[in-house]
Amino acid sequence: MKKSVIKGVALVAASVLGVTGLSLAPASAVTRTTVVIQETNSLTGLNTAVVGANLVTNVDVTYPTGSGFTYWNNKAQLVRNTAFGTFKITKNVPGDFRVTYTVKKGIKWSDGTLITAQDLLLSHAISSSDYSVKAGLGDPTPADPDADPTNKFDSAGYGGPYDDHTTASSFDISDDNYSLTVRYDAFQPDWQLFGPGPSPIHALIGMAKGKKALQSARVNASYKSLFEEAYYGAYEALPPTDDEDYEAALEARTDARKTMATVAARWSTRYNITTVNSSTNPLVLVSNGGYMIDSCGSTSCTLKRNPLAATSGTPKLTGNVDTLVFKFPATGGTFSDVAAAQALANGEIDIYSGAASAAVWSTLKANTDATTIQASSALYEHVDLRVGSADAGAHPDCAADYTGPFAGNSQKAKDLRKAFLLTIPRQDIANTYIGKVFDPSTTANSTVLNSHLSLTTEGDYSKVVAGISSHVAEFSKTQDTRNAAALALVRKYYPSAGPGSNTIDVKLLRSTAARRADINLQIQIQAAKVGFNLSNVGNGAWPNFLDCNDYDAHLFAWSRSAISQTGSNAQYITTGGNNSYGWSDAGVDAAFNKFEGALSATELIAAKINAEKLVAAEYWSAPLYQWPGVASWNKSLKNVMYNPLNPNVVWNYWQFTY
Amino acid sequence: MLAYIGRRISIAILILFGSTFITYNLQAYAGDPLAELRQSTEQNKQFLIDQLTKQLNLDVPPPARYFMWLQGILGVFTGNADLGMTRNKLPVIDQVVAAIPTTVRLVTVSTVLAIVLGITFGVLSAIRQYSRLDYSLTFVSFFLFSLPIFWVAVLLKEYMAIRFNDFLVNPVVDHIWAGGTAIVLAFVLAGFVGGSRRRVFATFGVGFLIFFGAFEAMSATLWLKDPSIGIIAIGVFGIGIAFGLTHVFTGLSNKKALGAAFTSVGFSLGMYYPFQQLAKGDTNYMVFTALAITMLVVSYFIGYFFTKIDKGPVIRVAMLTAFFTSLLTVIDRVMQTWKPYTELGAVAGRPIQTQGPVNILLKSNDFWINNLDLFTHILLPTTALTLISFAGYLRFSRGSVLEVLSMDYIRTARAKGVTEREVILRHALRNAMIPLTTLIAFDIAGILGGALITESVFGWRGMGSLSIEAIQNQDLNLLMGTFSITAFLAVMATLAADLIYSALDPRIRIRK
Repeated sequence: MKKSVIKGVALVAASVLGVTGLSLAPASAVTRTTVVIQETNSLTGLNTAVVGANLVTNVDVTYPTGSGFTYWNNKAQLVRNTAFGTFKITKNVPGDFRVTYTVKKGIKWSDGTLITAQDLLLSHAISSSDYSVKAGLGDPTPADPDADPTNKFDSAGYGGPYDDHTTASSFDISDDNYSLTVRYDAFQPDWQLFGPGPSPIHALIGMAKGKKALQSARVNASYKSLFEEAYYGAYEALPPTDDEDYEAALEARTDARKTMATVAARWSTRYNITTVNSSTNPLVLVSNGGYMIDSCGSTSCTLKRNPLAATSGTPKLTGNVDTLVFKFPATGGTFSDVAAAQALANGEIDIYSGAASAAVWSTLKANTDATTIQASSALYEHVDLRVGSADAGAHPDCAADYTGPFAGNSQKAKDLRKAFLLTIPRQDIANTYIGKVFDPSTTANSTVLNSHLSLTTEGDYSKVVAGISSHVAEFSKTQDTRNAAALALVRKYYPSAGPGSNTIDVKLLRSTAARRADINLQIQIQAAKVGFNLSNVGNGAWPNFLDCNDYDAHLFAWSRSAISQTGSNAQYITTGGNNSYGWSDAGVDAAFNKFEGALSATELIAAKINAEKLVAAEYWSAPLYQWPGVASWNKSLKNVMYNPLNPNVVWNYWQFTY
Repeated sequence: MLAYIGRRISIAILILFGSTFITYNLQAYAGDPLAELRQSTEQNKQFLIDQLTKQLNLDVPPPARYFMWLQGILGVFTGNADLGMTRNKLPVIDQVVAAIPTTVRLVTVSTVLAIVLGITFGVLSAIRQYSRLDYSLTFVSFFLFSLPIFWVAVLLKEYMAIRFNDFLVNPVVDHIWAGGTAIVLAFVLAGFVGGSRRRVFATFGVGFLIFFGAFEAMSATLWLKDPSIGIIAIGVFGIGIAFGLTHVFTGLSNKKALGAAFTSVGFSLGMYYPFQQLAKGDTNYMVFTALAITMLVVSYFIGYFFTKIDKGPVIRVAMLTAFFTSLLTVIDRVMQTWKPYTELGAVAGRPIQTQGPVNILLKSNDFWINNLDLFTHILLPTTALTLISFAGYLRFSRGSVLEVLSMDYIRTARAKGVTEREVILRHALRNAMIPLTTLIAFDIAGILGGALITESVFGWRGMGSLSIEAIQNQDLNLLMGTFSITAFLAVMATLAADLIYSALDPRIRIRK
């Protein structure tokens, strides 16, 4: 009797278990169509071309809502997007370099308005100082350094090579309205990067007119013409004051300028929002990407598939994802990174990419439901030595001239620079901040960055490094060998120098971050063995002191936002904007000036090797390592690929699929 | 009195001025708002630096820039206070206004819980001074107090979210686990009940059987997949609550109180089915609040009419019993939502979440679904905050009660034959709570300051995480926005605490 009761209970229990075991299946069988992407910072605005808004999260969120002539792929290559249009060099003679862009016929904004070359005009208005001045929109780059910029477009596009080599009238639209030619006054090595991007000018005019709803096709077409007229009218030269048409022409120009000024105000402020809901003006959301912003709040943004995605100019959407959700942390930093790793393990997010730390890596790796990879970011750590005052002048709070041990180009200064750079334990530092982040017990050597010009993630890195192999070999010997060589160099001038006799004071500028303090200490220990007395004090406001003559050495990381042929010129040319250390050598200047011309792939590598050699011989700087990153994503999500450049993992969103 | 308040307010203004001035300048000199830009290799870097320098007024020295900021704030007297713009050109006031509700929700719950738990355990600890319970509570509270919050958060997420959600797929516990946990819980229970050795053993034994049985039953019925309490179990628990509360407040010998408590239980049970009808998915907070007020009013009158003398304790017992029994009814209603909630696509069988105040994928109009969602998100951060913060209240109230218990008037009360319960509840506790007002006033003012690390770790965008972000990004206006509000409340709380203190304790009078 008793036994049978127990049996009965067991049976009931077993059947309950069985039933629930079965009922589990349907829930997981439903195909997911939402991808939740974890960001490492919060959203600050939807127009990434505004000053200060070109931030990772803003770019990630808006990238799927737009398309243009090019995009970066995961191999750091610039890919031409033929779904949007094509472009080619149409003239290349000294003093006249032209690139013609052709928009693909039939592609449309999300409100159905055709995309034409007129939509590319705004991109010139927000990049050309000359246009801004001549169209009465203020001077973004006043010649007087004490004068305040007065530009009406709050654009981050002014002041670069594009601005330097174009004028107000550098833009010509073809008669059929689908092609546009940009005229430069000289060949542009990075011309592919300067492509104009489309802007929904009809929506901007709509906003300028105070509209709060999408307009009809007819109205939108008239808005486009209105913008085009205002764009050209604003900088049209006036006839002489005694001409009978003068008054009319002046009035027309004043009207055009007024329109452009209003457009500038709308462009600068209306996209500067972090909340999108049903009360948001739909004109702000007109876009041409695979997805459209549906809603945004303080913790997330939801993007829904653009119904017109197929004709938006975006590469074909091949996946089954209909919703992209970007999730923002409350604050950036390590706490949020670990939190993101745990959220991924808990199924709350699908994709995460960010800085690598041991805590994040171990949490991510423990998650068997995710694919996790090590990656290299576009950020690289390096040590720079000061040679003289910055070309642009010294920091007002510091000494007027640099007189430290590394000053000048005498043999002594060069020897001391070389000795100091030789002692830097680059391999140990790389091991600490790359290999041991992923595996504390590893004894394998991590990749040291050996090139000043190419990152390890770039295709030509190994060829460039091979070209400077003797220099690399000299700086890759064992610590003891390098220290011995350094000591010999130092003793040429300081015979008693050595461990315990550190007579050469070297003041190093660095941030207060623990990582930098540790690297500083590692260098300090080795430098002390050959006579250098290296400081070890952080400075919270360090970037402000890069042009300070009180410092002999500098430890920080450069970040690369694009891979460009001339990208390193600003660092090494005498007058370069990033050359704060008085580095100046005619040979180096000439070598880097080569990058300003047209170079084939092999010529480029040869030019890079030449430049590397000359920089190496000056003993100005030592690259250390490229910061590691991590990326991890839900295993059932296909086609996720890490891209070290913005927009990182989102770059091929059109291929995402479950 | 008015003169005193006036004097205090003018001092407060000076303090606010000084603290904002110092904070502004410290932060301005500590970092470089252009740091990120200076490390970039953008080709138009100098242009960008010039633009930001102009936009953020970086060419004005910080002490002078402070007054530009102050000018905006002083607009409060002309009706248009301006907290300025963040460096991303968004109005600071919008950011702060959006952050306040998030912070208030998170920190209020944990502060209230910490106060209630801390005082309860503190009083228990004091009454049983130098007992096992006292030592254990002291040990546990100090242990939790000394844990770093971010580490507690990581552990909570790992065990209470990730692993618990994994466990929910098939919520069956093995016998060893059930037995082990039951032993621990029974041990804790025995510690709280206390008494003679025999009684401790008996409590332990009974407790173990109940807990073990409950775990096995939950496991066998997969209770966690579709939990519920049901009216019968609520009735059983309600009777237990009635006995317990009567015991604490009046003693079981007070038949009137016991009768009132039972009536309250009966009333709450009688409301069970009407509640199910009134509080369907389309209900709202208005209906809910109305029901709660009805419950409290009815139970007040139950207590009021049950006895003629010494109504206070009886009313208290009746109301508390009704409150807890009704709470069980509400919990039962929430539990009915559990299964549909976990089966939603947005939840996908993983109800306990680690990030943010709500599930961003959830789009529901159901009152209970939305509230359960709030609960599954607030659970972990609240637990973390409560765990590490209740030690302060515990030690403070323990010390305060012990000090009062050693006073002459307590001995007098005991000597004249007042029961120990009366001595503690009526004579000791009230006076012991007075010093706590200061602590509570400060903590309530601190609520708006937010929980800096907790908010960051759990992805709640409140005042605390806003402050951290402002510091990280060198966003001076944003930092001053959060700081000035927090500082203002802190100064006001000190004033309020002093005034309340003098009202509560006649021995302390503000000098004229």
